[in-house]
Amino acid sequence: MLGEILDDLLISASTGRCITASRHFPARPPVFAPFPASLDARVVAALRARGIEQLFSHQARVWDIVESGRHVVVVTPTASGKTLCYNLPALQALIDKPDARILYLFPTKALAQDQLAELEALAASLPEMRMFTYDGDTPQDARRAVRARANLVLTNPDMLHSGILPHHTKWANLFQNLRYVVIDELHAYRGVFGSHLSNVIRRLKRICAHYGSTPQFIMASATIGNPGELAARVTGEPVEEVTESGAPSGEKTFLCYNPPVVNPELGIRAPYLGEASKLAIRLLRAEVPTIVFAQSRLSTEVLLTSIKAGVADRATGDAGIVRGYRGGYLPNRRRAVEKELRAGEALGVVSTNALELGVDIGHLDVAVLAGYPGTIASMWQQAGRAGRRAGSSAAILVATSAPLDQFMVTHPDYLFGTPPEHARVNPDNPFILVNHLKCAAFELPINEEETFGGLDVRRELAALEDEGVLHRAGPRYHWASETYPADHISLRTVTTDNFLVIDTTARDEAQTKKRSIIAEVDWGSAFATIYPKAIYLVESVPFEVQELRFREDEEKVAYVKRVNVDYFTDAISAKGVWILRRLEGRQHPAYLAEQGEVLVAEKVVGFKKIKHGTLENVGSGEVELPQQEKQTTSAWLTVPPEALERVSRSREELIDGLRAVTYLLHHLAPIFLLCDIRDLGSWLGDTTPAESGAVATRESAKHRLMQAERFNPTIYLYDAHAGGIGLAERLFDILPDLLRRGLETLQACACAAGCPSCVGPVNEVGRRAKATAARLLSVLTA
Amino acid sequence: MSTVDDLRRVIRRIEGARPPRPAAEPVERVVDGELHDTGQGAIVLVQREYPLSHRHGREPLADAVAAPLALLARAARVDGELAAVGGLLFLDTETTGLAGGTGTYAFLVGAALIEGDRVVVRQFFMRDFDDEPALLTALEPLLARAVAVVTYNGAGFDLPLLETRFVLARRRWPGALPHLDLLRPARRVWAGWLPDCRLPTLESAVLGLAREDDVPGGLIPLMYFDYLRTRRAAPLRRVFDHNRHDVLSLVALVGWFGRALTDGTSVRPEELAGLGRLWEPVDLERGLACYRAALAAGVPEAIAQWARLRLAWWEKRAARWDAACELWDAARRHERFDPRPWEELAKFQEHRARDLAAAHAIVQDALGLAREAGAGPRVLEAFSYRLTRIERRLARAELADRP
Repeated sequence: MLGEILDDLLISASTGRCITASRHFPARPPVFAPFPASLDARVVAALRARGIEQLFSHQARVWDIVESGRHVVVVTPTASGKTLCYNLPALQALIDKPDARILYLFPTKALAQDQLAELEALAASLPEMRMFTYDGDTPQDARRAVRARANLVLTNPDMLHSGILPHHTKWANLFQNLRYVVIDELHAYRGVFGSHLSNVIRRLKRICAHYGSTPQFIMASATIGNPGELAARVTGEPVEEVTESGAPSGEKTFLCYNPPVVNPELGIRAPYLGEASKLAIRLLRAEVPTIVFAQSRLSTEVLLTSIKAGVADRATGDAGIVRGYRGGYLPNRRRAVEKELRAGEALGVVSTNALELGVDIGHLDVAVLAGYPGTIASMWQQAGRAGRRAGSSAAILVATSAPLDQFMVTHPDYLFGTPPEHARVNPDNPFILVNHLKCAAFELPINEEETFGGLDVRRELAALEDEGVLHRAGPRYHWASETYPADHISLRTVTTDNFLVIDTTARDEAQTKKRSIIAEVDWGSAFATIYPKAIYLVESVPFEVQELRFREDEEKVAYVKRVNVDYFTDAISAKGVWILRRLEGRQHPAYLAEQGEVLVAEKVVGFKKIKHGTLENVGSGEVELPQQEKQTTSAWLTVPPEALERVSRSREELIDGLRAVTYLLHHLAPIFLLCDIRDLGSWLGDTTPAESGAVATRESAKHRLMQAERFNPTIYLYDAHAGGIGLAERLFDILPDLLRRGLETLQACACAAGCPSCVGPVNEVGRRAKATAARLLSVLTA
Repeated sequence: MSTVDDLRRVIRRIEGARPPRPAAEPVERVVDGELHDTGQGAIVLVQREYPLSHRHGREPLADAVAAPLALLARAARVDGELAAVGGLLFLDTETTGLAGGTGTYAFLVGAALIEGDRVVVRQFFMRDFDDEPALLTALEPLLARAVAVVTYNGAGFDLPLLETRFVLARRRWPGALPHLDLLRPARRVWAGWLPDCRLPTLESAVLGLAREDDVPGGLIPLMYFDYLRTRRAAPLRRVFDHNRHDVLSLVALVGWFGRALTDGTSVRPEELAGLGRLWEPVDLERGLACYRAALAAGVPEAIAQWARLRLAWWEKRAARWDAACELWDAARRHERFDPRPWEELAKFQEHRARDLAAAHAIVQDALGLAREAGAGPRVLEAFSYRLTRIERRLARAELADRP
């Protein structure tokens, strides 16, 4: 069935021309290894009882490395049996010595639950296995029992950070006897989260040292460019890599699908969401289990709406076989969807990258990627969600009009040949580091000669003493504050506040006081998604936001009401970027490149109403919300008047051209930095000092530049994470290359006057922007 | 410290010149104590002795010596025995916060022992964090000779905190010591009668103690941090006084309980009702006797109502229906409408006495009074439902009676 549909897609006139590449990955046979001689006979028996007669080669390899006492990270595809890699040494350790203790870390509570179930099934026949999860869901009265009894604890970094390390004396038994620390889904710990985890591990090792244990780390990761390096950064230890999977895999077809050009003049292609939904509908109607990955929460809901409409039973209107899945859905809703998928009750699911993690959803046959996920690593992760150990599967990448997507589907050799990105962490980010030093001092006084993860932190300690939260007595710094520092430090976001989305439809009708919470939204994305009058979609059901409560002294909630509308809303924001501190500068012939710290301010000022299906603009509204600010690192380039004069005498034309260049550079930079496009932000501004600046929308920013007394436009490319994760320095170094590559891309693009695939849509950047941008880039790269 | 720049600014400031710490003003002189060498460093020790005739508020300390410890241990449900009064270690800590966890320190520990004809209060104080080993060393012999510990909220706070300090220092914590946490019996005796069960509230309401110039407990951590930074010891004198008061209150409360448990006439009637609550889960007969005595002695109506309903509940359990009905009958005449006795009486008439007409009359009255009193919808609904059911049964009974 799947084969026929794929053939149809390739042959039919309407879709065949859209397929820019097709790769076939043949089935791979398994590579087995015998059970290690040192593996306890009871564990072998337990494995046999589960139908496992021998190991895959990578599982045996990990066993050998662990046995030799070294730290290890195993990198293998989905469904390759990686959990056995760490479960075997763990079970063996507990059989050898029931007093030993083992700690498992998963990025989410749900994964810990999944793994506990799997472990319990495997270990049912083994003695002395006392395995428990310990996280925010563990009832208070059960916690003491877990602390006293468990010899294998499954938890998450957040709980380790705020619930276990600051109370280590209650866990003295665990820390005295800690044999292994297992970190699964290591690839999830990149950027801010990974930088935090590195510091949590620094603290963990400090506590272990205090109790006299030196645990061994066993880690598992999906495919990324630098698993060994990431593992070493996170643990601060040398780590062996195991990358050869011995697990078999079925054959797989990978198609690149570029939506057809519908307006050659403007270079406009058919909307990718519509194309992706058509493909998904076709597969689902043929009863092919399909997962559709969307690139944002909003596009998840938009896709779900159109796919449900497409597969709905004509007679009953029932579209229950397709479900949505994304962050923000409440945990029990997500668990229900997972269960339906495993049981085959749901045939399809539309998801954000939330399902990239190893949540067990059974096996699906096709993955439709609605838009390039931003990184090669994510692409393989998402494509890997379809496929079994035997039988064939497929992945279809549907390109958006963005330059990055267009580059990828037209350069399949690059797409399929480039190694996955490096996961970056910066444990020494000053904000993050200082916060964890506070926690570390709370846990155990810090000796002034002590290093933190090998880092000299004497200046930071002195600063914290000066601030009054640490106090030095003799050579040691002690926590000297009434507060509990871990409570104020979230590992995932800048603030810990989440917004609850509360449905008031029923409350007003029934006059009840019961609150019906339908979703949660984190602080960072709240203002752009649940502003008053926004349409908030949950499982493609539209709710209108009635009120958003965000003041510091009130509970953060959004009150919503069920509405019947055929549009969704998209926020319009105003922005500003200002230089706070220059760290480095380089004079190039035609421009000045600099890097340093900047202040980025953003504010949602209004929204557009966009009709489902046609995606036309059907209205707008204004929004009154506070400004959000962050400090981060950035590279920027300023073009002097002499260079600008060589390009054009019209300031308006120059601004359009510079905007076009900004768009192009931002969209191409991820290829060089091997990062996600969302890790970067861009802005065309100038070098006005921060004190005199205010945020502006695209139009007003242009107006301001037009009116400015001195015209010294500056292109900012900044690190989207507060404090920076090390992207700006790299950008500063590669700027000349990036400009050259931008010119090439521009010249190679077939559109007449700019399109989303090069400098941005012509109706946004202006009719002459492409030509001006080309002249600008020629001058800058001369 | 909100930004990188703030951090840098602070670092620059420090690197300029660190002002020398002000010379320490000796705490021991300010608080009239002495430096005590423990062999593992020195701490400040303040020792005060009080004759047993000393009154803490109205309460003579001697009452604690006379307290029937076995009875008290039973009433307060202590795990283990409170052997001799001389073995009781009365303990209270002042800490650097309420957050708990390994970063909260007990910087001042007050401990009282009854030694012969005197109560001896010792206070151990660390002048800085590096005095902690000495402080723990000083506590060790006291804990070793104690047969039980007496605290106020020690189960939830002081003892886990000290345990954390001991474990952190890799010292043995005597976890198995019997522990009398006075908060537990205090809650049973006074909760609801007093605005809250904090120790200062009990002191003024029960012990008749008015503290003069007392430090609010919430300020104490800040006062210690302030002392660490400035080395000005004078304000600490009030912290020492506060702590010593707390410890003496423990002794006095043991005395109070001892007297109350042996001689009910020595306490106020509402406290008698509270003693009923204390005894009820331990020794039912004693508990019921306390309720009856409280009712006989005359207590505020709200407490009387509560005592009646508890008594009635137990009479009902024992199927002494006359006694129960009498109590419910008294309870339904309570000044504020109370649905519970009405409901019980209706149930009795309907299911026990099988007098549907009487049940009907009771529910009808109750419904009327409930409406008058503006009772909530749930109460009204329950009575209406009961009324309809009784009416249905009445109709059916009438039908059956017809020839």
